[in-house]
Amino acid sequence: MATVQVSEAEKVYILHGVRDDLRVDGRGCEDYRHMEIETDMVSNTDGSAKVTLGHTDVLVGVKAEMGKPRPMVPDEVHCCFAWKFEGRGGDELGMELSNTLYKVFNNRYSVDLKSLCISPGEHCWVLYVDVLLLQCDGNLFDAISVAIKAALFNTKIPKVHISEDEEGGKEIELSDDPYDCMRLNVENVPCIVTLCKVGHRHVVDATLQEKACSVASLIISVTHKGTVTCVRKVGGGSLDPESIFEMTETGKRVGKALHAPLMALLQEEESLGKKRQKVGFLG
Amino acid sequence: MPTDTKRVRGPEVSQSPSLFLCKNAVKKSTASNDARVDGRQRGQVDVRSVFVRCGLISQAKGSAYIEAGNTKLICCVYGPRETERKDETDMKSGRLITDMRFAPFSCRERGSWIQGSDEKDLSLMLLESLRPGVCLQKYPRSQIEVNVMVLENDGAVLAHAVTCASMALVDAGIEMYDLVLGCSIRQEGATYLIDPTFLEENGYNLASGSRENLGSLTVAFLPSLNQISGLQSDGEMGEDTLTGGVRTCIEGCFKLYPVIQQALSKAVRRKAPPSES
Repeated sequence: MATVQVSEAEKVYILHGVRDDLRVDGRGCEDYRHMEIETDMVSNTDGSAKVTLGHTDVLVGVKAEMGKPRPMVPDEVHCCFAWKFEGRGGDELGMELSNTLYKVFNNRYSVDLKSLCISPGEHCWVLYVDVLLLQCDGNLFDAISVAIKAALFNTKIPKVHISEDEEGGKEIELSDDPYDCMRLNVENVPCIVTLCKVGHRHVVDATLQEKACSVASLIISVTHKGTVTCVRKVGGGSLDPESIFEMTETGKRVGKALHAPLMALLQEEESLGKKRQKVGFLG
Repeated sequence: MPTDTKRVRGPEVSQSPSLFLCKNAVKKSTASNDARVDGRQRGQVDVRSVFVRCGLISQAKGSAYIEAGNTKLICCVYGPRETERKDETDMKSGRLITDMRFAPFSCRERGSWIQGSDEKDLSLMLLESLRPGVCLQKYPRSQIEVNVMVLENDGAVLAHAVTCASMALVDAGIEMYDLVLGCSIRQEGATYLIDPTFLEENGYNLASGSRENLGSLTVAFLPSLNQISGLQSDGEMGEDTLTGGVRTCIEGCFKLYPVIQQALSKAVRRKAPPSES
């Protein structure tokens, strides 16, 4: 991740504050920064979302294209993750991000992959989820996972109809009505919570300064029911097993609490429809 | 897909014959629920017995070979070497560079020589697991390269790679705080399978059709310091299952510890036999 240089005095200050559950910007150890979500920003995509978490800015676009399913699983579709990060040193970060995201979403229960099958063995929908990092201010995984969930919620896949013609060849027809589309069920899409170990306690949604004071972090992805889909330790330090158990518990609690308000907010934004005020990129 | 111009390539598209196998042959479930295919028990800390040997590659500073069941890995360590520092950050400690590759014939389906993204991800996990164990501040402005090659993949590859790499580091004489041992577990419903084989990892022997608690977990552990240096899980698990799985992996690492220590002391004696006085 992009790092900032932190002096020893600043480190001690941050450590002592976290020990007393008071962080530099006044938050508690389990509080997120101010988060803004807006969907349907890019008209050329099938679904898009922009999330601003503090100064971290993430834009996700989802495009659905038709393709062939993998031969081993003829009735399921697959998701591909791509990333773009400008500037030097972005390769490793981008690779880490896309690999972790792939692991998080790879299990068959997050997105109902079977619903995206058009005809088994021949055609299926391939969802390309492209993540663009506009600004990085720590805690990329959380922002990206929220943006992905919002973008998938917003995705409208056109309904296709397979018709057989006389020689037995299959023809794919897209319905003429642009509003006749299929929505994805994003109930089970997990959200990622990153917990950084700072001193003896752990914090949620660490800023870059707090990240510079921590030796290791734990990335947990939690669904709305509280099941943990992926756990990963990142960073060059080691963690005590007891702290891992504590962090898992906190992560599960925080992650579970994140889903309900997020879904409520997305549905409210959807229900506003045309009356919604679009903020866009400059707001 | 990056194309490989250095080798004479086969046809563009080819498929493995195992795709055309009739499905009934593959989905045979085990007769009794407790025994695994290779005779180990479910729900018990029954790691595969390992064969380890250090110092087999003379050109490398340190090397190690590990065999656990059918999983075979070899690791070489080169260093400490001088780095040409492109960026001036962190001159006070050394750098650890890890590289993990699969031989194309190691898995059921032929892989390619070019590193795929999951190999890069495994290399990154290996780096994160090994870094807490190595005293990098004793090697300023140097880099230590660890290269792991998987010769045969029969499950729990990352866990055994971590063990093999830390043995190779010790064989190379790199100073470390503690050995880093790896252990892997596959959770299926209420029971777990420790040190799973490839078939068990990919869920071919599902005992019950339960959707709950299906996942795998790999833990890298420093036994004397009681610290976890690497943790990775996927699949769907409840939090208690995850906690229990981590504890089981730690037990598995403790079981492996004396074997590795013995192999290392044998290797050291072979390299520098004690004087006859």
